[in-house]
Amino acid sequence: MKIIVLNCGSSSIKYQLFEMPSKNVLAKGLVDKIGLKGASIKHKRSDGVEAKIEGEILDHQSGIEYLLGILISEKYGSIRTLEEIDAVGHRVVHAGEKYSGSVYITEEVIGALEECIDLAPLHNPPNLKGIYAMKELLPEVPQVGVFDTAFHQTMPPKAYLYGIPYSLYEKYRVRRYGFHGTSHKYVSQRACEILGLDIEKQKIITCHLGNGASMAAICNGKSVDTSMGMTPIEGLIMGTRTGDLDVGALLFIAGKEETSIQFTSTLVNKFSGMLGISGVSSDMRDIEIAAEAGNERAKVSMEMYQYRVRKYIGAYAAAMGGVDLIVFTGGIGENDTITRTRSLDGLEFIGVNINEEVALKSRGKEMLISTPESKVKVIVVPTDEELMIATDTYEIYEKLALESVD
Amino acid sequence: MSETLEDFSLGKRPKTKGMIHKVGVVGCGAVGQEITRTVSEYGIDVIFLDLTEERVQDAIVQISAQLDETINHWGLTPGEKRAILSRIKGTTEYSDLADCDLVVESISSRKKGTSLEIRKEIFRNIEAVVRQDAIISSNIVTLMISDLSSVLKHPERAIGIHFILPINKSNVVEIVKGINSSDEAFEQAAKFAGMINKKIIRLNESPGNIVTRMLVTTINEACEILMEGVASVSDIDMAMRESGYLFGPFEMADRIGLDKVLKYMDNLYQEFGDKQYKPSPIIKRLVRANYLGRITSRGFYNYKSGRPVDQTVTCAVIK
Repeated sequence: MKIIVLNCGSSSIKYQLFEMPSKNVLAKGLVDKIGLKGASIKHKRSDGVEAKIEGEILDHQSGIEYLLGILISEKYGSIRTLEEIDAVGHRVVHAGEKYSGSVYITEEVIGALEECIDLAPLHNPPNLKGIYAMKELLPEVPQVGVFDTAFHQTMPPKAYLYGIPYSLYEKYRVRRYGFHGTSHKYVSQRACEILGLDIEKQKIITCHLGNGASMAAICNGKSVDTSMGMTPIEGLIMGTRTGDLDVGALLFIAGKEETSIQFTSTLVNKFSGMLGISGVSSDMRDIEIAAEAGNERAKVSMEMYQYRVRKYIGAYAAAMGGVDLIVFTGGIGENDTITRTRSLDGLEFIGVNINEEVALKSRGKEMLISTPESKVKVIVVPTDEELMIATDTYEIYEKLALESVD
Repeated sequence: MSETLEDFSLGKRPKTKGMIHKVGVVGCGAVGQEITRTVSEYGIDVIFLDLTEERVQDAIVQISAQLDETINHWGLTPGEKRAILSRIKGTTEYSDLADCDLVVESISSRKKGTSLEIRKEIFRNIEAVVRQDAIISSNIVTLMISDLSSVLKHPERAIGIHFILPINKSNVVEIVKGINSSDEAFEQAAKFAGMINKKIIRLNESPGNIVTRMLVTTINEACEILMEGVASVSDIDMAMRESGYLFGPFEMADRIGLDKVLKYMDNLYQEFGDKQYKPSPIIKRLVRANYLGRITSRGFYNYKSGRPVDQTVTCAVIK
């Protein structure tokens, strides 16, 4: 059977067509600059045939219509008719407290996701546009929502509540939700698969270190804490986001600089993090080059980044009463050998021993980087959120099929 | 020759009318600059037209300085500024507006006397170069869109769009339907408003629309209170600010420019003949003395580096 996975952003759509259960990717691509000048679709078929096709893309629905047109075209297509598509999997950022797993999308689910727009005003609306468009274009095909927040819904109240008046939680659902859930779930499961471990008996810390970055404490297969909060600003220092910040400091800055709420949001989202500290770039590769050339701020920014990761490892080991496995993923986690290795400095006391030779060489592939004697295993697992979405969609599709037989 | 996305259309739904890709702005004074900047901030190409090359260059310098000010307050990144400026072009030739989907006339209303004839001339010039389906619009305050559109061959394409100052802070625009304005023109204007993240207030034409009509009467009333010796300029402003207005009436008048306020009042008084619109003598005296507000660094207040430092008009007190 064939499943198409969509990740709809505000002006772009990433898509992949999977053959399941073999997990083969038949085609993938990117619809770019929706509603803007210079819109295009970059498409790549599994046999290497590529195309960049330009034209006017008014909205998400026309973008999806065109990508489906490409998928069934003679020249670039992978399927003959749209009937070959059995299910659609959508990445949806925020499902609030509603869903703790992926779900078959019904009218009720759409309603619930619309209610979450408040919590993710930038992300949920385009995700929903993808769902509306597919309902229109492929009305008979079941759609599945896979949520960034769902995996972290197993967090206990002591981990997800903020120290603010409880009434604000009741009124607006102000609490920690966490993000990157699909990635944390995928890499923790995959790591256990590789190492032949039973995830139900493991204390795992996953580090998704990309331009946006978060960590999760996963105890017996369930997320019990994560570093991002109600928004993706909390936690680790990121490319341009602050991570943890004293709200008192923010109030002070807002007062001194006379910034509006909107400008304060730009400050903590776009001017801060590695870019703000180093003054060099938000890209760790540029910062490393600058640090090697003797740039002190670049150096201290890297130390801060590593220190924050290390602090969270310590915190999550304490939260779970130990740690058996640490997983690195995301652009930095998979490829930046220095950041990854230095983040683990001094953790021998909890049983982390790194094989530096392997650790400093391995990039972008599944690789155990701890020594054989290391009490805590450390592994790199490249993330594959699209595959996870396809897998969840497949499982739900199969369940639906079974139910309809009953 | 090369293929486009259209070739892969599934033909599943009716074609919707195109989007707004390019906007023309005629007149690039303070308000025209704000419109230009805002439109570009939302990713739309803008071409603005002014009378001389010098004014065009000056407008670009001003817009760039305003963006720097936003950067200094953490509201914008330098990369975003470059992108915004890259979408803005200036010209002195109407023919450069030819491929605009929507053109907004926004000439300064500072000159004495009615600007109706000048604006009509501009409407004619715009229509001579743009496509048949392009929308022609005016940042209309106290004039009537029906008067302006009377010179067009296709008056149905004209619609009023009143931007409320400061444009980057207010969340709404007033969209004004004239007698001849078509529903399509309204829809396009509404689509445009949506693209620049403004809610719309739909109204049938009337001088001063809603906002200006309410505003000038408030300013007039504030002048009455001042003249009666009830309270000072800054106290009246503070009272109104603290009771929920974004700006006090005098601050607001200084921001708009007292010459413009005077003109709005004259136009409204002429239209309605109601003395509540009749310009207060204080405003007339200040304008005569060239106390025009922020633009001349003195109006109801004296300004230093853009901040009010003291009041220019004192309150009459009985001793």
